[in-house]
Amino acid sequence: MRYYKCIVAFFVAFLFIQQADAQNNTNTFLRSVYNKLQKAKDYTVDAHIKVDMPFVRMLPVNAKIYFKQKDKFKVESKGIAIVPRQGFDQASKMLADSSSFTTIVQGEEKIGAILTKIVNVIPLSDASDMILGKFWIDPVQSVIIKSQLTTRSSGTILTEYSYGKEVMFGLPDEMIVSVDIKKFKVPKGFVSEPTKSSTTKDSEGNGDKRGKIYIKLSNYQINKGISNSVFIK
Amino acid sequence: MKFWKNTYNEFIKIAAKPRSYIGIGAITLIVSIILFAMRVDGAFFISLITKPFEQSLSFEGNILNGNLIAFVILQMLIVHVPLLIALVTGDLVSGEAAMGTIRLLVTKPISRTSILLSKYLAGCAYTLVMLLWLMFMALVVGKMIFGTGDMMVLNGNGLVVFSEQDVFWRFASGFSLAYLSLVTVATLSLTLSCFSDNSIGPIVSTMAIIILFTIISTLDVPVLEKVQPYLFTNHMVAWRNFFDDPIPVAKIIKSGEILLIHIIGLLTIAIYKFNKKDILS
Amino acid sequence: MQEEEKIIEVSHLVKNYGKFNAVDDASFDVYRGDVYGFLGPNGAGKSTTIRTILSLIKPTSGQIKIFNRDMATHRPYILQRIGCIVEKPDFYNYLSAEKNLEVFARISGVDIPKKRVHEIIEFVGLKGREKDKLRSFSHGMKQRLGIAQTLIHDPELIILDEPTTGLDPQGIIDIRNLILQLKHERNKTILLSSHILSEIELIANRMVIINKGKTIVQGSVTDLLNARDLIVSFQVNDVEKAKQLIQSSTLNLVIESTDDKNLFIHIAQERIPILNKLLCDSGILVYSIEAKRKLEDYFLKLIGA
Repeated sequence: MRYYKCIVAFFVAFLFIQQADAQNNTNTFLRSVYNKLQKAKDYTVDAHIKVDMPFVRMLPVNAKIYFKQKDKFKVESKGIAIVPRQGFDQASKMLADSSSFTTIVQGEEKIGAILTKIVNVIPLSDASDMILGKFWIDPVQSVIIKSQLTTRSSGTILTEYSYGKEVMFGLPDEMIVSVDIKKFKVPKGFVSEPTKSSTTKDSEGNGDKRGKIYIKLSNYQINKGISNSVFIK
Repeated sequence: MKFWKNTYNEFIKIAAKPRSYIGIGAITLIVSIILFAMRVDGAFFISLITKPFEQSLSFEGNILNGNLIAFVILQMLIVHVPLLIALVTGDLVSGEAAMGTIRLLVTKPISRTSILLSKYLAGCAYTLVMLLWLMFMALVVGKMIFGTGDMMVLNGNGLVVFSEQDVFWRFASGFSLAYLSLVTVATLSLTLSCFSDNSIGPIVSTMAIIILFTIISTLDVPVLEKVQPYLFTNHMVAWRNFFDDPIPVAKIIKSGEILLIHIIGLLTIAIYKFNKKDILS
Repeated sequence: MQEEEKIIEVSHLVKNYGKFNAVDDASFDVYRGDVYGFLGPNGAGKSTTIRTILSLIKPTSGQIKIFNRDMATHRPYILQRIGCIVEKPDFYNYLSAEKNLEVFARISGVDIPKKRVHEIIEFVGLKGREKDKLRSFSHGMKQRLGIAQTLIHDPELIILDEPTTGLDPQGIIDIRNLILQLKHERNKTILLSSHILSEIELIANRMVIINKGKTIVQGSVTDLLNARDLIVSFQVNDVEKAKQLIQSSTLNLVIESTDDKNLFIHIAQERIPILNKLLCDSGILVYSIEAKRKLEDYFLKLIGA
């Protein structure tokens, strides 16, 4: 009987150590991703933004993105640009304070040629806007290949990243952002065609839809220094 | 030659009449108020447009720019500008009858058809001046205050964003079609003017017809649906089709045809009536 | 003798408004050089006839020829040679006198230089007021401007529909003198519609009287009225004495009637001074001598008043 108890205790201890070790590994893992992202104190980058969304028709537009640690972010364009409401640095914000979340390794998934580790990140605070974060991480390069962030305010945002020469800073060359679009309804009084009703055929009977924003990033200027006045609206 | 001389006379008369400046003054005042309101509370207006998308998306760039303002102004005023047009064109024949000058005019060695067409041409020119003034106030002054940029339009099918380079020709085309719809109103009021010896009747009748047809256009009654596509009021906002993507060319052509048919038909009635009319005033 | 040229020929003109006959078979001719009087009571159809001549109204039937051309087919040719005022002269109140004349001159069919505009303004006595807006003009001034508008393109035929309406006595005299000047100095043909009988009698050489849309009589004023014969009233101090004197004289005059102060005598104009001398030489005081318009009697008799 005593022998049996020792074996159980050993296995429990082993599992605990394994879990703790795994937790430690995951945290370290995410920390390396985060640290990489922190290497870029500031950057500007040229963005080519293309929108593929129900109820929205627009040509691709060029913009300039400014970023400065820790959360200054600005999109500047001559024309009208549509970007994700949460900006591009949501993942970085989420990973900033490792004590504010817990992680669960979900497994692995091959995306292209990369065998990614899937990590679920769960905020510990109920007040947080973020409900759940899911990251597909390249363990070799310590960069995020894909992220799925579920927020109270914006629904679920799925982002796919591709990297080029700025991979050492964790800055992607290309992003594909997929967002929820609510059922489209024109506010009253906006439709001037007297014979048209205010809801569209597309939206009648259809549920929520998803739209995509394709962002190509080029000409990064990293750690060149950006004045705070740039971010004043 | 006498036709052109008489047309020149009609220009002089329109330019000298105080009522001709009511419309221009009204447009200046109304557009100024709209520009002021947009300057103060434009952000709220923009949020109404972007509201359906704000949960997930953010709109960057100079959204509240002169192009959008011009579109908003044109959309608001295109229903009201016809009244200002009718104020002048409805007076072209009946005003002369009321004043008594028609007796002198018709005893000149110029055909009645020429007299009427001269007045019509002058009325169309006045309509053009009004629309150009509206365009100037909306586009030029709007851009001076709000700058320029891409244009965001909300229609029944969703949000359309036109790049800045893609906007001006749309405005030019849209204004051209809007001009055609205003000329239709001018023709209607001129025709009514041939049936009256006082100024108020044709002006009020023109507005009553526009209101009546607009109401008929909005009623969801099967028996009226057959008639609705042929009412000119249904096509007075056809200019908006130039701000759709893709542009419904067939729809625009059809609207243009309906308006032209109205213009030709009304003008024919006016010429017939004016030629047959006994000048008793 | 050179045949007189007919300028206006109105033949069996009819204008109906439903069952009402505004003009019912009116016919008359106006010759070159005439001052042609167009007489009739109110509602007789004078204005309707004039408006029909000027193509303001379409006739129901009948023919109108002016300058030997049918109005229906030669309208521009004819109207280019006519100047007219129909009822009161109305102008554009928001334009000046000068601008009003220019507007109408521009479509008169004749090229009219600006100098001519100023000349005609001066001719009608409006010099110095040409830049003023019409809304500041009195009725008399508008009437003058109406005459100016009528003459500016130097027409052969002038049609005036009641041109002295609303004018003061001086204004009436001015218009009368102007018409005579136009006839004698510029050889214009003038069709003059009026209900002021004395006007027609004084200046017209031919006339037509219409009533209820029909032509009653037309011809020369002299022939129609035998204008040499007048009825003259003599206001005297002793009517009975004067009556006996006249009846016993060799003047062979007819006394139409008497009252307590006046004798009404049918007498030729040139014999008035002779009778006056006879009365004065006989000690009868003559307070006034007044010729009663025979045209009035004639007119009233014709229209059945």
